[in-house]
Formats: sequence, C-alpha cells, structure tokens
Amino acid sequence: MTNMPRKVAIVGGNRTPFARSNTAYRRASNQDLLTAALDGLIARFGLAGKRLGQVTAGAVMKHSRDFNLTRESVLATALDPATPGIDIQMACGTGLEAATTVANKIALGQIDAGVAGGSDTTSDAPIAVNEGLRRVLLDLGAAKTAAQRAKALAGLRPGHISPVLPATDEPRTGLSMGEHMARTALAFDVTRAEQDAIAAASHQKLAAAYERGFFDDLITPYLGLTQDNNLRPDSNAEKLAGLRTVFGDPETATMTAGNSTPLTDGASTVLLASTEWAEEHNLDPLAWFVDAETAAVDFVHGDEGLLMAPTHAVPRLLARHDLGLDDFDRVEIHEAFAATVACTLKAWESDTYCRDTLGLDGALGSIDPEKINVNGSSLAAGHPFAATGGRILAATAKELNELKQREGGTRRALISICAAGGQGVAAIVEA
Amino acid sequence: MGDLTVLPEPPSLPREFARALLTFGRDGVDGEIPGTLVQTTTTVDRDRLMDHQRLCGFKVNDTLPPTYPHLLGFPLQVHLMGSADFPLPMLGMVHVSNEITVHRELHVDDELTLQVGAEAMRPHAKGVTVDLVAAVTVAGELAWESRSTYLHRCTPPSDAEDPDPVEAAMPEPPAVPAGPAAAVWKLPADLGRRYAGVAGDINPIHLHPWTAKAMGFPRAIAHGMWTYSRTLAALGADGIGTSRVWFRKPVLLPGRVALHVAEDHRTAALASPKDPDRIHLVLTHQAL
Repeated sequence: MTNMPRKVAIVGGNRTPFARSNTAYRRASNQDLLTAALDGLIARFGLAGKRLGQVTAGAVMKHSRDFNLTRESVLATALDPATPGIDIQMACGTGLEAATTVANKIALGQIDAGVAGGSDTTSDAPIAVNEGLRRVLLDLGAAKTAAQRAKALAGLRPGHISPVLPATDEPRTGLSMGEHMARTALAFDVTRAEQDAIAAASHQKLAAAYERGFFDDLITPYLGLTQDNNLRPDSNAEKLAGLRTVFGDPETATMTAGNSTPLTDGASTVLLASTEWAEEHNLDPLAWFVDAETAAVDFVHGDEGLLMAPTHAVPRLLARHDLGLDDFDRVEIHEAFAATVACTLKAWESDTYCRDTLGLDGALGSIDPEKINVNGSSLAAGHPFAATGGRILAATAKELNELKQREGGTRRALISICAAGGQGVAAIVEA
Repeated sequence: MGDLTVLPEPPSLPREFARALLTFGRDGVDGEIPGTLVQTTTTVDRDRLMDHQRLCGFKVNDTLPPTYPHLLGFPLQVHLMGSADFPLPMLGMVHVSNEITVHRELHVDDELTLQVGAEAMRPHAKGVTVDLVAAVTVAGELAWESRSTYLHRCTPPSDAEDPDPVEAAMPEPPAVPAGPAAAVWKLPADLGRRYAGVAGDINPIHLHPWTAKAMGFPRAIAHGMWTYSRTLAALGADGIGTSRVWFRKPVLLPGRVALHVAEDHRTAALASPKDPDRIHLVLTHQAL
C-alpha cells in the first residue's frame, strides 16, 4: 500500500439517450434503464465476465422494491456476478457523488476499477398509497384479534383512495425547485434574456456535438432513441422569448419551460480505474478524476438559495488545489435551470457575495462563456436526475481528451452540479 | 420441400384459430404432411416486444429474445395446421420439445421474413408427432431457426416401426441437474392469460381452470413457450446460440416451480419444489 493515493482514470462512459417524460421510455423502469446503460458500457470496454471492485449508482425517483437497484442491474448484465452493486442517493448530485465514492476507493487502493452511474424515470414513477390508507394497512397488519382488525378497517375513508404521486417540492418549504430558483434569480437580477440565451446556446451546442459525432462513443441507442429527444437544434432566443413564464411572481417572473429542464428519463455510467488496471486491459484513459467537494447550504432558515451549494463547494475545492477559475479550460455547470448557471456565475463575480456569503477576500472571478458547457447541457439534453452526473463526467473527460490532443499541455475542467435539499457537488477533471 | 405460399402480411390469429377449430375430429394419422411452406414479412411491435421481455424476465431492450420470433411465426403455424390438407387436428396438440438457434441477434427494427413449414410426421408411443419448422431471414441472411415438435395423442399407427422416435428430431435430454434449487418462482393464476395476451396463443388449457378442466387438465397450465423463455432468461441465455427444451409434466397455475441449474450453466430444469422428481422441463443452451 505504497504510493497512496493513486491516480484515478476516467476510462470512458456510456449512457442511454435521454427521453422527455412519458415518451420513448414511458414503460421502462429504472432497472431497465440502468441495465441498458451498463450493457453498453460492458460492450464498449470488453467488461463481460470481469469482476469490478464495485458498481455504485442510484436513482432519485425510486420504488421501494428497487432497494438493490444497482445490484439487480449488475446481475442482469454480463459482468461477473461477484461484482458488488451499491445504491446511493443525493438528488441531482447522485451521479457525481457516486463517481467520487468509486474514485476515492480506487485512489486508496481498495478497488482497482469500478463503475459510477445513475438512472431516473419520472414516467415509471413510484406511486404510493396515501398516508391515511397506509396507516390503516399498517394497523391492520399489526392487529392480532378480529376486534382490532375491525377497528383498523373502520379507519378507512373514501379519500384514502387517492394515491400519492412523487413531487419535486422541497419537503421543508413546500416550494417547488422552480419557485426556489425564481427567488434566487430575482435576488441576482437575472433577466429573461440572459436565461433564454443560455437555453438557446445549450440546444445549439448539443446539436453541434451530435453533428460532429462527439456522442458516438458515449451513447448507445435504446428503445428506438438514438439521441436525446428534448433537443431542438433550431432553438433560438426569439422562439424562447415567446414562451409564457411558469415560476415565481407573475409580475417579475422570468423562468419558462424553455429555460428550465423538463422531466426526463434516462441512465448513465462511467468507468473509473487505476492506471495499472487500465493498462492491463489495454484501455487508454480519457482523463483523470482529480478531486471532488460536496457542499450544502441553509436554504430553509438562512437566506441562501436552494441551488447555490456548488458556489460554496467550488472555492473550497479550488483552495485545496491552489487553483483559480482561470486555471480551467472547460467549466460544466449543470443547467437545472438557465438561471442556475447565471446565478452561479454572478455569485462568483460578486465581491460582496464572495466576501459575505463565501467568506473569501473578494470575487472568485469570472469565466469565459466560451469555456462553459461547450457541448450543451441539461436544458437541451434533459435531466434524468441521478443520470446527469455521469453524463457530464464522461462528456467532460472526452472533451478534455480531445482538447489535449488538439492543443497539448495539461487540460483541466471544473464540474458543478446543484441538487435538491440545498446540496451540491463539484469536481476537478484533468487530461 | 413443396409449394411456397407467400402471405402479404401475417395472418390474423383469431381467424386462423377459428379455421383450425374446424379441423376438430380430424385423425389422418396415416395421411401425409403437406410440403407447403408459408412465408410472410413482418416487423416487430415494440410494445408487444417489451411486454414479452418483461413477462418472461428478459432484459427490456431492442434485441429480440431467442423465443420471440416463435411468437411471430405462430400464426403461420396455425394457418398451416388449419389448412385443408393438414392431416391432424390442431386442438389438443401437445408441445413436446423445441429447438431454437439464433444465428445473429435480431433487432427490433429488422424487417423479418418468416417461413414456416411442417415435416417429419412420426409415430410415437402415445400417438404421432409432427415438427413445425420456422426460419427467419433478414435481408436474405438466415438469422434464426426453430423446430417445434407437437404430439397428437391417438392410438399409434399400427405400422410403427420405431417405438419411440420422438427424440429422433432432437438428441436425448441430459440428466436433470442435481442439487438444491437455484430459484423458486411463484407463478400467478393469470399467467396463462397474460402470456396469451402477448403471444396470442389462446389455447383454452392455458386460460382458466374451467376451460382447462374441459380439456382434461385439473387447472390451467402455463404455456410451454413461457416456461422455456423464463428459463432461458434465468440463464442469461439471450444471445447467439442454440437452445433445446424437452417439455415434461405441465406446470399447473397458480403454482410454484423450482429452477435447477447445472454447474456449467448450460443445462437447466424446472421441477416441482416439493417433488424434485416431478420434472416440468429440461433445457440446454450452447452459446455460439
């Protein structure tokens, strides 16, 4: 156990195309999606019959029967059945947090290779019985005498028939994520035009990436889809400007269905390994997973925005490596909403925010827009919550690898992903 | 081989069933199997494929499970068996064995040319058997083949020279894998109806206890093709290769069956969990 920690290679990735809710994957479960993404990864990197250190993945909208979602998916694939499967969950941060866990184990020499991933479907969503009925059924199960059973059944009410659908509302505030974002967008004076420009660029850049074949070795077609069906290559700011606002006070609202991510279904996976393992298997790493930082903010009682945790994670991560925003060739900021990207950038550019909220000496800095989300992001691709981290990590590794081959030198990327619950994950990737 | 009948589209199964019912009482065990080949071209319905994959335990994806083309060829089989010159009645035929070879994986978007014929009527200890053979070609290339052996129960033909020729079409089944069950499956009462809904095989023996009783079974029985598919899926045997299945005692619904798998994962059997000697099927799979 010398030379620890070890470097962690990002060997490659595979995902399903992403599908808008209730379209191509309407009848696919999380396990179907995750298995399909793993199958493609196994085929791409010749992993059939191999025992990996672990596969760590998760789903946000998860059915209770899927407690072992990842393990069950592993067992459905050609991987050696002795490969452990571990479920984790951190809302939209699930995928990148999964990669961090796997990468750390590789770095520590606990495992040599592993897969990080995530899957989500809002089409095949878990529907639960309502709380009243659940209570009656639990009491019924606990009842020992006929009288107790009768008493439990007497608690049944007509209203119990209505099921509980999963929602993306924050349990502690009762506000939807969009409503939270609208508050932050207003606080940072983010305009409608700024958001629509980000959304249009996302579609155009994703379309261009497809056009040049960038996703050919990152995506495997599934259930009739060969590319993300939310993508609108002809999207532009004029068209987006015509949409009505959906979140926030109608007087000041700027957020629309066009500059917010739609509910989406899909799954993604990333293969991580030690240098030695990659060499032994004749696989050339795309890039290296350097480090990651997880953060959370008090959005309930404090005055920080729900989706602002990555703005806290990034400066801590940069300080650890003595890096500034200028040191990055590419920056990926998950487009939960176009406003998320705008607020994050404005926060880092603000002396006041960086000093008062982040405790820095002054503004963290600004980022050249040409470096941000260069191959499109969630506004265009869609955002199956737990699958977004894997999508971004694999694409970023490939983008850096191409950049390095084109221009040489060490190339570095920063990834920032916000998550429900006031959480966020950031990571550094190098090629 | 004899004439080739090309149908512009797959025949409608209910109509073919109705026609085949008229063959009831037919008992031409001394007759000739017509050499006719029936051919049609078809595409795969994604929803139906997904229903099949889920019901049989295969992965839900764009690749056809090895047993799926059987379901597409089934209306052609019924068409053939219902034709005027087919000597045996379709109703009451028992599926005794099957062999399927996948030469290349079939994709949901492939245009499949299906060809079905009947051959090799042979005497059997309990009657006569006939083989329904099917093949799928894609763009002229042979992709999939199947041989289904059905038994018509009757007094065996008097001139039966070979006392037990059923196995002649297939090798002898291997020994049932020893040891404890790898899995025990609970099969619901409506499994036959659900599989019939997907496969179209609405033979009354599968649908309901009452209709099954009328046909001489104590309860409804699972489709042989479902038990075959479910066992293949459990082995992960969903790719290129040859599988053979020998059907033994029917699986009564609802019920529980135990899966036994040999160490090499190439042989499996379904048996009663309570009585391991009561075998439902023996299956072998050889990947290519």
